[in-house]
Amino acid sequence: MIRFSNVTKVYGRDTVALERLNLEIDQGEFVFLVGPSGSGKSTLVRLMIKEMEPSAGAIFVNGTKLSSVSRRHIPQLRRGIGCVFQDFKLLPNKTAAENVAYAMEVTGQRRRVIKTKVPQILDLVGLSGKMDKFPEMLSGGEQQRVSIARAFVSQPPILVADEPTGNLDPNTSVGIMQLLHRINRTGTTVVVATHDREMVDVMRKRVVALDEGRIVRDKVKGAYADEV
Amino acid sequence: MRFNLGFFLGEAFKNIRLNLLMSITAVTTTFICILVLGVGLLVSSHVEGVIGSVREDVSVEVFMPGRGQEEMAALEEKAKGWEEVASVNRVSEDEALASFKDTFEEQPEIYENLDRGVLPASLQIQLTDPDLANSVAGKLEAEGYDEENLSYPQQTIERLNSVTSYMIWGLYAATVLFLIASVLLISNAIRLSIFARRKEIEVMKLVGASDGFVRTPFVLEGLIQGLLGAGLAALTVVWLNFLFVDWSRQELTFVPIAADAVNTVSILLILIVVGVAIGVVGSFLSVTRFLRKI
Ligand SMILES: Nc1ncnc2c1ncn2[C@@H]1O[C@H](COP(=O)(O)OP(=O)(O)O)[C@@H](O)[C@H]1O
Ligand SMILES: [Mg+2]
Repeated sequence: MIRFSNVTKVYGRDTVALERLNLEIDQGEFVFLVGPSGSGKSTLVRLMIKEMEPSAGAIFVNGTKLSSVSRRHIPQLRRGIGCVFQDFKLLPNKTAAENVAYAMEVTGQRRRVIKTKVPQILDLVGLSGKMDKFPEMLSGGEQQRVSIARAFVSQPPILVADEPTGNLDPNTSVGIMQLLHRINRTGTTVVVATHDREMVDVMRKRVVALDEGRIVRDKVKGAYADEV
Repeated sequence: MRFNLGFFLGEAFKNIRLNLLMSITAVTTTFICILVLGVGLLVSSHVEGVIGSVREDVSVEVFMPGRGQEEMAALEEKAKGWEEVASVNRVSEDEALASFKDTFEEQPEIYENLDRGVLPASLQIQLTDPDLANSVAGKLEAEGYDEENLSYPQQTIERLNSVTSYMIWGLYAATVLFLIASVLLISNAIRLSIFARRKEIEVMKLVGASDGFVRTPFVLEGLIQGLLGAGLAALTVVWLNFLFVDWSRQELTFVPIAADAVNTVSILLILIVVGVAIGVVGSFLSVTRFLRKI
């Protein structure tokens, strides 16, 4: 489903963010990417959606080699990967419902389909009462739910979240994690980059630990740190 | 992929509403540029119209005060034989008065006290070529008609030619400069509004929007702004033209300014097409350049 093969990413002249990284994630998996700040988690996520090119190595997503995806076809690639970010990245001039609808508009879905699908998905993330609110009127947790609804509304095979709970308090974070877990149970591959130790320890999922651009640990049903 | 015009138009109008100040700036800029362009077109059309009508009038007129019918007929016969002459037309005293009254139709006080005979009879000699006026004038003088009884537009034409050709070229140059300036101004206004929304555009791309999908509302926005600014400017130009033609009929009776020197419909069309093109091309280029960077 997702495969990094000997991937190196160097920023500028000598900032090595990832170094000869090999990683394979299967369909339907739930994977935590953990590691201290600066260990390369965001770089890995950004490479996956072809926001930039690796300095060396190859990346495969849904069986496609990313280096062979032309600029023109990047939108198609991204429609297959729902993205959730620490800062939500909602469109400020659109309501919750319009933000979710936008992700369907870009794929050219029919208005009728959008009209029925958007309320369903907002209901699923627990925001049925706030469909017509603008992002600035929503709490951080609510904004993140909108952004998850947007990422998931077209049911992409993969959902990637980069520090989805980074700006949220612990209680709200639990709700967001549960939501991601529920999405995973529908068969969607979920990759979560985080340094939220408690969350990782509670969920007992596969944990890939990065440090200075290298995988230092990869454990099924793992915890944030090595168990003694 | 389906092209959802309703969605894109909705987005464009929402952008205009949310960035009202920027939109007003763009519309105003377009308005001013198209107005200047339009006034330039007006002036050059009228100048060309005047030159055209003066040029058509390639005749030498011989006034014959106190000369008899026979003398006029004799000169007419003679003049018809000259190779420079296309035709000769005899104007009697009555006809002269009638055409004078015609010219000053709206100011009867000028002619109401005129008697028949104050305006002399004349011969209007049409030439085959305006450049021959001098040689015909010479022949007439040789026949005993002195300079002051001759009226021919050679000098006028020469003067008009040298002044107006510079004027028209100057106008064309100014028009081109303004066109370039307006493209720059408008694309700059659009670039500013795109820059103000760069974060949004990046998010759209992350959600999987194609370049075209992001671009379309911006281009429609440019189109609407161009249409609005240019439309208003074009109507203003047409209105100014009516005012000018009306005014010149009263105040510039001797200058042959014709209402039909300016084709109103084509001026309207040209100005609106130029305005819309600037809006569309300007926004298209600005967004495309921005999209290439992310
Ligand atoms: N755009 C960038 N330009 C230069 N260096 C960067 C850029 N993004 C990240 N880095 C560097 O790459 C390394 C990995 O960063 P990042 O992937 O953001 O780590 P994490 O998300 O784990 O905190 C860090 O040393 C960071 O300073
Ligand atoms: Mg990061």
